[in-house]
Amino acid sequence: MSPPPPPPPPSSRSIDLLPLATFTPDLYTRAWQSTPHPFLPLLATTHDKTVTVFSLATFSKHSSLTGGHSRSIRSCAWQPSSSQSSQSLRLVTASFDSTAGIWTYNPSASLEKPITSPSQNNEEEEEEEEEEEWEFSLVLEGHENEVKSLSFSPSGQYLATCSRDKSIWIWEHLSSGGDGDQGEEEEDWETIAVLSEHDGDVKTVSFAPGFKRGKKHDGRRYGSDCLVSGSYDDTVRVWREDQDGEWVCVAVLEAGIGTVWRVEWEGREREGGRYQRFMTAGAEGGVKVWELREEDEDQDEEGGEEGGVSRWGAVPNRMRQSLREDWEVTGELPKVHTREIYSVAWSGESGLVATTGSDGLLVVYEEDEETKEWRVRAKVEGAHGPYEVNHVTWCRRFDKGAEGRQEEMLVTTGDDGVVRAWEVRIGEN
Amino acid sequence: MREVDNANPSILNVSQLPSRSRKVTTPRQGPDTKCDDIVYSKRPWLCGSSSLEDEALEEEYGEDPLDAQDIYDLISPISDPEHPHTLGQLSVVQLPDIHLTPPPAGRRGDSLVTVTVDLTPTVTHCTQATVIALAVRYRLEQTLPPNYRLDVRIKDGSHSNDDQVTRQVGDKERVAAALENDTLRGTLDKMLETCV
Repeated sequence: MSPPPPPPPPSSRSIDLLPLATFTPDLYTRAWQSTPHPFLPLLATTHDKTVTVFSLATFSKHSSLTGGHSRSIRSCAWQPSSSQSSQSLRLVTASFDSTAGIWTYNPSASLEKPITSPSQNNEEEEEEEEEEEWEFSLVLEGHENEVKSLSFSPSGQYLATCSRDKSIWIWEHLSSGGDGDQGEEEEDWETIAVLSEHDGDVKTVSFAPGFKRGKKHDGRRYGSDCLVSGSYDDTVRVWREDQDGEWVCVAVLEAGIGTVWRVEWEGREREGGRYQRFMTAGAEGGVKVWELREEDEDQDEEGGEEGGVSRWGAVPNRMRQSLREDWEVTGELPKVHTREIYSVAWSGESGLVATTGSDGLLVVYEEDEETKEWRVRAKVEGAHGPYEVNHVTWCRRFDKGAEGRQEEMLVTTGDDGVVRAWEVRIGEN
Repeated sequence: MREVDNANPSILNVSQLPSRSRKVTTPRQGPDTKCDDIVYSKRPWLCGSSSLEDEALEEEYGEDPLDAQDIYDLISPISDPEHPHTLGQLSVVQLPDIHLTPPPAGRRGDSLVTVTVDLTPTVTHCTQATVIALAVRYRLEQTLPPNYRLDVRIKDGSHSNDDQVTRQVGDKERVAAALENDTLRGTLDKMLETCV
């Protein structure tokens, strides 16, 4: 992907939110979350005990995952993969039945389905669903209560799950090396860590994004994985893998926003190679921006190759005890919402941020390049009529109206069982 | 309408409960009910809120906005999980502790309405406080239109864990998960049998 063009100064452009499409069919029951595939035109929406996969080219149903869980599926994640082939299409679900489920897509069930590059799928007609396309291939058991959220590390090697049982589990996918295999080999997932430091329900986990492939310079500096968790205990915790492969908590952050519903990483590179920031959204209304305080001497550190050795690889053993990370609040979104904020989405393309919540508002914010202040740029009231909006995400457009441009839209998911797409029209005045 | 005397925690007669000359209120269908399709077919939120839909809303719910007495009438008949009395009779639910924001007067058809219900458990260590609060929330979720937001709380100082219970019942995700627990759901349905 080419780097985004430099945006014009904020004052010179307008941002409007316009209804673009409603995904069909309606789901007729509370829908929790919609997760776009990293590069394919697919969107996975969790509702009840089902995941409905929609086509982003047609805004209609592509396939569904049913029969795997005995209670509601709260969230799901696509396993990252470097392969563009659908053979490795894999979705993991987090369920209130205390398990996570691994699902694999069976391409032979429908060879002609538009799991191809976006340029080819516009003319293809959607067929009615064939439920057998998705195979429920493995159950990850271990949590004692509802699994609430999950996240893959950028390489797809690690999966983090979190639960009301106050713990975070990290699983390693041992057969992830072979992307080109036939998908027939047995699933092999191993628990490599159980993190039990939170004092309450862990609501959300999120791995820091990896950097774009082929840029070794960035990979060297930020190659190691960083996990952030948010909890009912009002805290945010930052976790790192040390050089012995142990996952340790390197920071406990008092977010001051009540229950932490969502942690959202900044999805693009920063000037001077600084570490990505993240935002926290919670029950008490404020969205905060957290930034890692980096010492100057740290910049010259020699640890780590891409995807491998820990960032602390060069640090002597005796010093590691004191290696805490210093994260601090460096910004805050203007307070617009009047009730709980359930979701925040930070675009890796444009840098724009969107929030939704109990009050039904959909709000878009922009950071001022110079002052670093966040400002409200667009707002829609009653984005899902009178219903609560549980989730918002940025999503690349694949529909005909996008006209081949690298354009992003917002997708919201609500208690009304409706998934809606919003055009974010950036005008230049 | 008369207010209940708060000082006396004993059981009230039905005739003592706050009421007004009865009008027939048909139960309303909210989200998460089996009647979803009825609701949704009437309210297809395809193009955001428009004036047309506002009119439809008025027709559907009548020109008479809900007030605290309506809320009281919905939840006071809920049975206590342990005693053969209703929450109204036990003064767990009290009319002066029900608030609607904005008040019925200055309300627009589609705008959000926040319902705050402060519950008074019969004893400060009542182990059933969470179940009672959940039942109240469940009842209101089932019956109120979707533009109503619920804050069910345990009155300050009336219970040893008032904050914890309040928080738990305010957590949408935990409530949703709890309602999928068959045992708990059975208890709630039994408590709601006395609601008509």
